[in-house]
Amino acid sequence: MTRRKFFRKMAKAGVAIIVGGIWLTKKAVPRKFIRADAVRKYPGLLKPLRNISKQSKWSG
Amino acid sequence: MKIQCELCPKMCLIEPGQSGECRVRINIDGVLRTVVYAYPCSLHIDPVEKKPLFHFLPSSKILSIATVGCNLHCKNCQNWEISQANPEDVPAEYWPPERLIEATKRYQCPSLAYTYTDPVIYYEYTYETAKLARNSGIRNVLVTAGYINKEPWKKLLEYVDAANIDLKGITDDFYRQVCSATLRPVQDALILARAGSVHVEVTNLVIPTLNDNPEQIRELVRWIKSNLGADTPLHFSGFYPRYKMRNLPPTSLKMLEMARQIAISEGMNYVYIGNVASKEGQNTYCPGCKIPLIERSGYTILQNRLRQGHCPNCGKEIYGVWK
Repeated sequence: MTRRKFFRKMAKAGVAIIVGGIWLTKKAVPRKFIRADAVRKYPGLLKPLRNISKQSKWSG
Repeated sequence: MKIQCELCPKMCLIEPGQSGECRVRINIDGVLRTVVYAYPCSLHIDPVEKKPLFHFLPSSKILSIATVGCNLHCKNCQNWEISQANPEDVPAEYWPPERLIEATKRYQCPSLAYTYTDPVIYYEYTYETAKLARNSGIRNVLVTAGYINKEPWKKLLEYVDAANIDLKGITDDFYRQVCSATLRPVQDALILARAGSVHVEVTNLVIPTLNDNPEQIRELVRWIKSNLGADTPLHFSGFYPRYKMRNLPPTSLKMLEMARQIAISEGMNYVYIGNVASKEGQNTYCPGCKIPLIERSGYTILQNRLRQGHCPNCGKEIYGVWK
């Protein structure tokens, strides 16, 4: 192997390591959110809320 | 793909299809989604004194909403049927912000409260509704544990007129063991709210054997006085055995009166007793000349002697939002 070929191989390996490292980091670090998007459908039962004008039984 | 919710200090790492600790913020296809936006499970008109807010538009009605879920898991939670439930298990109704504003006007409520569970976990719903309410001349009130990160808190406070924030204890140990939270973020939230234009009142629930030590109460009061000011209304609230804490007795009136006396001796100007009938502990007294200014019985105002937010006897200005 010539010296030129050796350096070319080394450079390729280096690039592969860097690209792989970036890919792995992206995979490992979760996306971060503060705000959440609304979903269209409520997962529970939909039912009219009653006695709005009455004081709540809940604390607060 | 795993995601992280940075709304509150829990900083939940959420796997696909799972929710954070609050049960309502979910990872759907690598995006954070809220399942309770515009879906309150509770909607009622309460007296503002019930929040409790004693220095904010006395004897006014307040439309109060909550969705299911909470980011804290207090073992003594009074509202655990909705705060510690899954959205799948609690019925709700579609109430977009516009409908809430319309109802607030129709029922002639000057303000809207985001309460019962914790408005932090239905942040986007609170934020959008509060923005709309502000533009419609309706005041916004938060009743919260204040367990939220600084950035979203500051953004929300821009639209908040008043808040009752719990300071549940004064040790990190108490917060960790009883509420599955930490103390510091709550203190930061209190300081930020009080530093802005928000009217702040503080509630401390006194639980026998857990946070009723006179020295701890003194420490709590001193922290409030030095960081929020002596004028901050402070409510000592009575505990009742609920949820996972049914082994302790209710807080006695004597205990609450002792807490109130400690706060007064430390120089706090407005100290109240809640959840237990107390004559003196419900009234507002002038810190200057000591005459009773507002006399209450439960959530009812018996007499309000304030004149444009001032004591009629000595003229002292009383902290609050009176009109």
